[in-house]
Amino acid sequence: MEEDHSNPSEVSDKTLDSIAQKKHAAMIERLSNLHQSRLQQAISRKSDSNDSPSFESTKSFLDRFSETKKSIEMEIDRCRRVSESESKSSLKSDLDKVSVSISDLERQVAENSYFLPSYEVRSSLKTISDLKETLESVNYELLPKKKFSFKNKTTKKDQSNVVKNETEIRASDSVLVENCSSIKVRDSPGFHNEEGAVLVKHFGGSKEGDFTLSDLNSCEVRLTGSFRALFIHRLWDCRVYVGPVLGSILIEEVEGCLFMLASHQIRIHHAKETDFYLRVRSRPIIEDCNNVRFAPYLLSYEGIEKDLGDCSLDEETGNWANVDDFRWLRAVQSPNWCILPEEECVNAVNISNLKTPGEVS
Amino acid sequence: MGLLSIIRKIKRKEKEMRILMVGLDNSGKTTIVLRINGEDTSVISPTLGFNIKTINYDKYTLNIWDIGGQKTIRSYWRNYFEQTDGLVWVVDSSDVRRLDDCKMELDNLLKEERLSGATLLILANKQDIQGALTPTEIAKVLNLDAMDKTRHWKIVGCSAYTGEGLLEGFDWLVQDIASRIYVLD
Repeated sequence: MEEDHSNPSEVSDKTLDSIAQKKHAAMIERLSNLHQSRLQQAISRKSDSNDSPSFESTKSFLDRFSETKKSIEMEIDRCRRVSESESKSSLKSDLDKVSVSISDLERQVAENSYFLPSYEVRSSLKTISDLKETLESVNYELLPKKKFSFKNKTTKKDQSNVVKNETEIRASDSVLVENCSSIKVRDSPGFHNEEGAVLVKHFGGSKEGDFTLSDLNSCEVRLTGSFRALFIHRLWDCRVYVGPVLGSILIEEVEGCLFMLASHQIRIHHAKETDFYLRVRSRPIIEDCNNVRFAPYLLSYEGIEKDLGDCSLDEETGNWANVDDFRWLRAVQSPNWCILPEEECVNAVNISNLKTPGEVS
Repeated sequence: MGLLSIIRKIKRKEKEMRILMVGLDNSGKTTIVLRINGEDTSVISPTLGFNIKTINYDKYTLNIWDIGGQKTIRSYWRNYFEQTDGLVWVVDSSDVRRLDDCKMELDNLLKEERLSGATLLILANKQDIQGALTPTEIAKVLNLDAMDKTRHWKIVGCSAYTGEGLLEGFDWLVQDIASRIYVLD
């Protein structure tokens, strides 16, 4: 407006005017820019909220939630009523759609759970699980044949597969089990079902896997070299001398035996009247045992020092005496086990000198 | 507005998950937890009771409950079921004889209503041992395909000894839980 109001007589006034003019224009521009950017922000916010509804207010969320819930329930009802006339295929796709909208609803709850009161979250989740249940039962009601055949088929197929697979896998291992005519389906490499025998095996490399001793009666077992894991199951009146085991040893149901074992972990279940000469890196445990006694490892054979070193078992940790009885969770000494008195310990056993298989005591 | 939005942001960031590790004794649960956490695994005694480890994984905080698996203490497992987001079932793949036990205990666990919403990761451990069953074979023996359709589950072969497969398993577990509980981002 200053332009119209010109004053030709004063030059200095004019220059002043033009400065003010510039300032004014710049301010107008800044203001309009600010307005524009605000508008844009508002628009982008709006489109954001269209993508994924974020309510930030419990009431608006709950309103929307119950609306969606109602429409899902109506849809399920419709499916139920319509089922007699309509073909099965369209029914199935309808039910699938319902299932999708239920999971959409579930996602919405999850996305907004951070501001909802915990009661509302819980009740919404409950509603969703109810909806799922209803859908499941409707599914079952309307398309029962489908479900039945699915169940029947899988269980039948799986059972036959299991048996076949087991025989396949373990058949290759059965070479190790000599003199054993009937190999059970679930035998792992090891000595099984022997009586009065001396069973000897040497493990060569550190790549050796697991080994099992099961159902042995009055046998002597000598395993030299190191391997990964040892399973012992149902042994009576046996003497078992074993080189270092890198992994763990699991013993179940043994009676009247003597064991010399070295390992990372040793678990003993259901043992009776048995002596254990152990070297263990951790605490050995017993469960449901009676009259078991413990002593330090006394085994030797040619090269045992190297094998023990390879398995980090070359140092005596004293853990053979730190037995945990899972059936005796009290501070006082468990009545189920004790330390073997020194005078009753056997002498150090050197199994590299014992060369008489067939000699049974 | 300023303070409120800060509080909301903090609440969003507290992404905690409760993970329950169970399985038969001697399956390697404690070793797995310590291996993930980068701790020494050379001296681990059989677990009498339980261990809790809090691990930051991605942007989530995992509270891992490692529960002892000896028969005597299996009946106490149910004391830990509440609020579980993820269930890790550990199997000793070399222990063929006790797979029946393993299947029975897992079936019992999955009947539990409090665990019905939990994501299930089955770790077929000790794959490094020669002669161990593969994850596919274990899945067949445990009859996993017959599981309830609504359960999210996956079986992964792993070795706590070498560390192989552990990240793959836990990545899946955390992602699956996150997609259920938290915003996918």
